[in-house]
Amino acid sequence: MMTEPETTTPTSEEGSDRAELRRAVECVLLVAGAPVTPEQLTETLAVPLEAVLDVLRDLGQDYAGRGLQIQVVAGGYQLCTRPEFSEVVQRFLRLDHREPLSQAALETLAIVAYRQPVTRAEIETVRGVRSEHVLERLLDRHLIREVGRKHALGRPILYGTTEGFLRHFGLQDLHALPPLRGDDPRAAFIGTAPTGSPNGEDLSL
Amino acid sequence: MPTYTIKLPQFEGPIDLLLNLAQQGQVDLREIPLGQIAEEYVASTRVHFDLDEATEVLWVLAAMIEMKSRLLVPKDETPVEPVEGDAAPPDLQERLEERLHEYRAFKEVSSALRALEEYQQKVFARPKEGDSGEVILEGVTVDDLFHAFQQVLERAREHVGEIPAEEIKVADRIEAILRLLGEHPEGVEFPRLFSDRAGTLEVIVTFLALLELIKLRRVSAEQPQPFATIRLMLLTT
Repeated sequence: MMTEPETTTPTSEEGSDRAELRRAVECVLLVAGAPVTPEQLTETLAVPLEAVLDVLRDLGQDYAGRGLQIQVVAGGYQLCTRPEFSEVVQRFLRLDHREPLSQAALETLAIVAYRQPVTRAEIETVRGVRSEHVLERLLDRHLIREVGRKHALGRPILYGTTEGFLRHFGLQDLHALPPLRGDDPRAAFIGTAPTGSPNGEDLSL
Repeated sequence: MPTYTIKLPQFEGPIDLLLNLAQQGQVDLREIPLGQIAEEYVASTRVHFDLDEATEVLWVLAAMIEMKSRLLVPKDETPVEPVEGDAAPPDLQERLEERLHEYRAFKEVSSALRALEEYQQKVFARPKEGDSGEVILEGVTVDDLFHAFQQVLERAREHVGEIPAEEIKVADRIEAILRLLGEHPEGVEFPRLFSDRAGTLEVIVTFLALLELIKLRRVSAEQPQPFATIRLMLLTT
């Protein structure tokens, strides 16, 4: 398939190619049931990455003013409904309102998200309260997972966020998290925390 | 989460603001009757108790008590000279402040995340094909369900009585099951769907309602081992 990424005013032939590609991408997004990465699209449609990205941008514009939208979530693109129509969708699917996270769960999750990989003790140092139960609930909801163990006394479990976390908040990746005030280098707190043992994790995220 | 508010001649406002101001040196803790605040808070918990709030108040009060006690203890004037390499353990107050800052930053960012969550909860994408299908009948065969059903039927037979004239609708039972499962996110054991007083008709209709819910992928059934009690759970998409 011939596609000129830079073309702003495509000739009719290129235009129809691109339009066809756009329709193909739309189909894939509809049936995917999960965010689709541009790489997956490149592979499926056998076209260059730039072409896929162009078409995804086109599609996003096509959906302006429609009931559906294309979101970039967890590293992929997904076709989904617009929030304005949540009531209709819920009524049709007979879904109850989705239960939001409790304040305690949200705070704990925020600490895991920004400080991962992080141990329970480190979380509790920030929160000032025991967090075992909250962590369990977050594990149950697949918002966090165990990502390893810290090389420290007792080899405590390290927690990190999951793809489900990104989907829950509609985030493209961890870089899309809202900025944390006073957060300079990532490890600043863990390094200087009173409980701070040298953080010698053997894994990087 | 509303923060506990205090009213004093010296200060009026949320308790964590007081701590904040004290840390910035804008309020002199020596003039703040912490004991009185604590007593009033304890009194207020007798009317209304919220665990999150109590935790926060306790924590903030503890921090202020520590700060105040440091202010009250006469300072040892002599060895203020920095001992070599002694900079490592920072002053407790500094540490407390640091921790508070840290915590505040996370609180702030939590509300940003909350907004994202609110938006995203109103957005629906197609569920993954077969995604929920796998968990819907984990380890449960139709026979298992049928056996469980028979047992309940037998239980129903023991209570021979008049069949009540009231009509039992699948739709109503569906609602009842959803309500029961909604109240128990950890899941409900199969027999609990049927009250001991349930007549045969109600048992049958409830069972039909359950099958319907499983078909609609609203409810999942799990059996950890063969012959174990089947556990039902609400499926959230």
